[in-house]
Amino acid sequence: MLEQLQLEHYLTLCMRSEADFAEVFEEFEVSETISALNGEVENVNPVIKSGISFRLYKGVQSVYAYTNNTDDDNLTALINDLRDAIGSADQGPEVKLTRVEYENRHPVKIDFENVPLEDKVSLLKRADASAKAYDERIVKVQGNLLNVKQNVQISNSEGRLISDTRVRTRLMVNAFAKEGDNFQSGADRPGGGMGLEFYETSTPEAAGREAARIAIVNLSAKDCPSGKMPVIIDNGFGGVIFHEACGHSLEATSVSLNMSVFSGKLGQKIANECVSAVDDGTIPNAWGSENIDDEGNFQKRRVLIENGILKSYMIDRLNGRRMGMESTSSSRRQSYQFEPTSRMSNTFILPGNASFEELFEGVEKGLYAAKMGGGSVNPQTGEFNFTVLEGYMIENGKVSYPVRGASLIGNGADILFNIDKVCSNLKTGQGMCGSLSGSIPTDVGQPALRVTSITVGGTSHE
Amino acid sequence: MNKQQWITCALEQGFESFEIYQEETRERTVSWYNGKTNTFVTSNVTGTSLRGVIDGKMVTFATEDPEDGMMVSVITSMKSQAAVTGDEEPGIIRRPEESKVTAVPGTWVRPSVAEITDLLARTEKQILAYDPRIIMASRIQWSEETAVRTIVNSYGMDAEDRNTVQILMASAAAKEGNEVKNTYESEPVREIGTFDLDKFVAKTCDAALNKLNAASLPSNTYPVIFEHGAMTSLFTAFSGMFSGEMISKGISPLNDKLGTKIFSEKITVIDDPGSQDTVSMYRYDDEGCPTFCKTVVDQGVFTTILHNSASAAKMNAESTGNGFKASYSSTVGVRPMNCFILKGDKTLDELCSEMKNGFVITDLAGLHAGINFVTTNFSLQCSGYWVKDGVRDHSVSLVTTAGNFLELMKNVTAIGNDLDWSWHSTACPSIAFSGCAIAGE
Repeated sequence: MLEQLQLEHYLTLCMRSEADFAEVFEEFEVSETISALNGEVENVNPVIKSGISFRLYKGVQSVYAYTNNTDDDNLTALINDLRDAIGSADQGPEVKLTRVEYENRHPVKIDFENVPLEDKVSLLKRADASAKAYDERIVKVQGNLLNVKQNVQISNSEGRLISDTRVRTRLMVNAFAKEGDNFQSGADRPGGGMGLEFYETSTPEAAGREAARIAIVNLSAKDCPSGKMPVIIDNGFGGVIFHEACGHSLEATSVSLNMSVFSGKLGQKIANECVSAVDDGTIPNAWGSENIDDEGNFQKRRVLIENGILKSYMIDRLNGRRMGMESTSSSRRQSYQFEPTSRMSNTFILPGNASFEELFEGVEKGLYAAKMGGGSVNPQTGEFNFTVLEGYMIENGKVSYPVRGASLIGNGADILFNIDKVCSNLKTGQGMCGSLSGSIPTDVGQPALRVTSITVGGTSHE
Repeated sequence: MNKQQWITCALEQGFESFEIYQEETRERTVSWYNGKTNTFVTSNVTGTSLRGVIDGKMVTFATEDPEDGMMVSVITSMKSQAAVTGDEEPGIIRRPEESKVTAVPGTWVRPSVAEITDLLARTEKQILAYDPRIIMASRIQWSEETAVRTIVNSYGMDAEDRNTVQILMASAAAKEGNEVKNTYESEPVREIGTFDLDKFVAKTCDAALNKLNAASLPSNTYPVIFEHGAMTSLFTAFSGMFSGEMISKGISPLNDKLGTKIFSEKITVIDDPGSQDTVSMYRYDDEGCPTFCKTVVDQGVFTTILHNSASAAKMNAESTGNGFKASYSSTVGVRPMNCFILKGDKTLDELCSEMKNGFVITDLAGLHAGINFVTTNFSLQCSGYWVKDGVRDHSVSLVTTAGNFLELMKNVTAIGNDLDWSWHSTACPSIAFSGCAIAGE
């Protein structure tokens, strides 16, 4: 990281231009991925990412430069490229920085850098043994342990200088089950914004068992019927439905350019009254949390939808200018190599009043999506898709046989109105979210809920 | 970074061999919105990846901060990996070999910023003027990148590959009534002066306009044609099945299938990293192994497993020069490179005419989640158009296509002649299939 005097020098140079705002983002990230097959380590991949970026605004125009070469000549040349692009000037304000101190909301107890490799490998071995012990048809187990420590320092022409350290860990277990020629897989990928103490409560054994359980269920699953039907989506990673169908379309990235189905709908009813949703980057040690966003503003809890009414978008500084609104501290990026923009953090639908059993009442034929996979959305049209990793048919209000190969598609603007019952069992799941500013950790979540009608894609036609 | 000093230090610390891989990337991006420059991005980044063999095991370290002062501590930490690494993965650093690829990359004429902004302004203007139903031109962007890969090692290897790419991107949104449809197109541009902007704009706008007035389809199994873009997306998602890394681990759907018929006899798959038809060509893979052209599937028969050095050693084979990384900091995996399905001789119109009644899939969504690599089952959102009596009838959206890729590829009825690389490293022509499950109403 550069010294304060150096930062003031470069920011002052940036402002000798037609820019009205300048920002420096510095990053030093240490990560480590340990990969194992059947409990045997295949490779250990430590990576150091280290670099710096400069960003200048003139109104809603932005110019951006990044490099990992912090020699003064290179940094000065990059800044001069930006000044030329935005309009150079001989004079400008002199920038003086004041460091902002704060209390860390996401303390780490066991720093992975201080733990011997053997101990980290043992986490993978425990997951492997647990998956294999679940059922003799589990024939292979792949495991990846990811540990990340990202140090960032952000300074800007308004005089703000602030730092954050984000520590994350995640265990990804894939179990493969075989019975005759039938070969199926299951996965579990728990993670948190903390050190290795995460595995004291979210044990590798639990992850191994869960991955194995899904693989075994899929061995006996039948092809999923297709067509429109009621769907009950369980809690946890089921929240990907809100993330894809609505969350991305509430990001200022698309809203500010009038490229979202929710543009201009603040204060309007966009969902059934039983739906309230938040994006909360402050939850202590959650996978998608951080003390500050990637523009140096303290993270917040944002109420997006309250009883069906759209209350807030997720806004970064630049898109806030376009919209005439303040940033909601929603600016995030994968690394210094990405210009930040509005992104989600921990996004979930709030608990409702229905019991789990109530969701099934009156459903003659439908789909129970117990575990969801990933998905994607086109924010401009609102069309979304996501996959079901573990699903069951519902027949006459009861969970029936397991099905595989199901996907759910629909339109985000419609589906929010079609959620008619929300349960109280809120739970979150971890994912990596890809968008304009790269791949970032996000929690998705929801209680179990029912969608009255959604198109289910499958291979069986009944 | 004093590379020779790092190599000497590693050998002195007991490494059997040591390699330094570097990728230097220079990028420039200009985006345009509403009549003016929206963003301008410039960058230079060098990523360094170290690999060494100690006790027969491969250990690695990647960094963007390769200070010579960190040399001893980095190499010591790499040594510690060997104690926990299993014996399954053979550690191999390659000895230098000459590449036999004689083709040279095509030339790119680097434009000035003024030429770029003029192109972007014209792109926006022409898109908005194309049709009254076009309501928005967005994501208009010029992106250029030059990447230089170098590999040196303790055996004296000194390999280098250099690639440049310049791409124009644009999105158009079309509206009729309350229905909005959009599309996103991109094309490599070797020289702005000779680039056919009219054709690019027409392709972008027509794609959006053609999606309007879309209806769903009743759920059923229909004859389908995957248009070349959708076919390329689907094939790319499953192309890892040819990987020796996956096969040696027993998690590829092609385990034990070498020499057997896996696809229709109409399908031949070629992998040619040194191909001059593509935007990026590779004389060496990311281990410094010379690349060459090979037939992966010959008239439906699986003939070649793709390998890097480690997977080849595990399966008593030779590397096929397919040891590529996802990024400089990744470990070396196995990836097809400039891989394509051999084109046929029919135009897309002729494929439609032969199909008579069926569904042409032009776009697929959700490929990162909607496929099961192990079983090759897929279930994906798609859109396109319905063909009635051999000609285009109406647009179709919000339906899914589902099936099993290996089964689908056995049911090929015809192959198109419209292979289009654009800037991709995998390409397919349009392919007609006898049937595929579609879910809609």
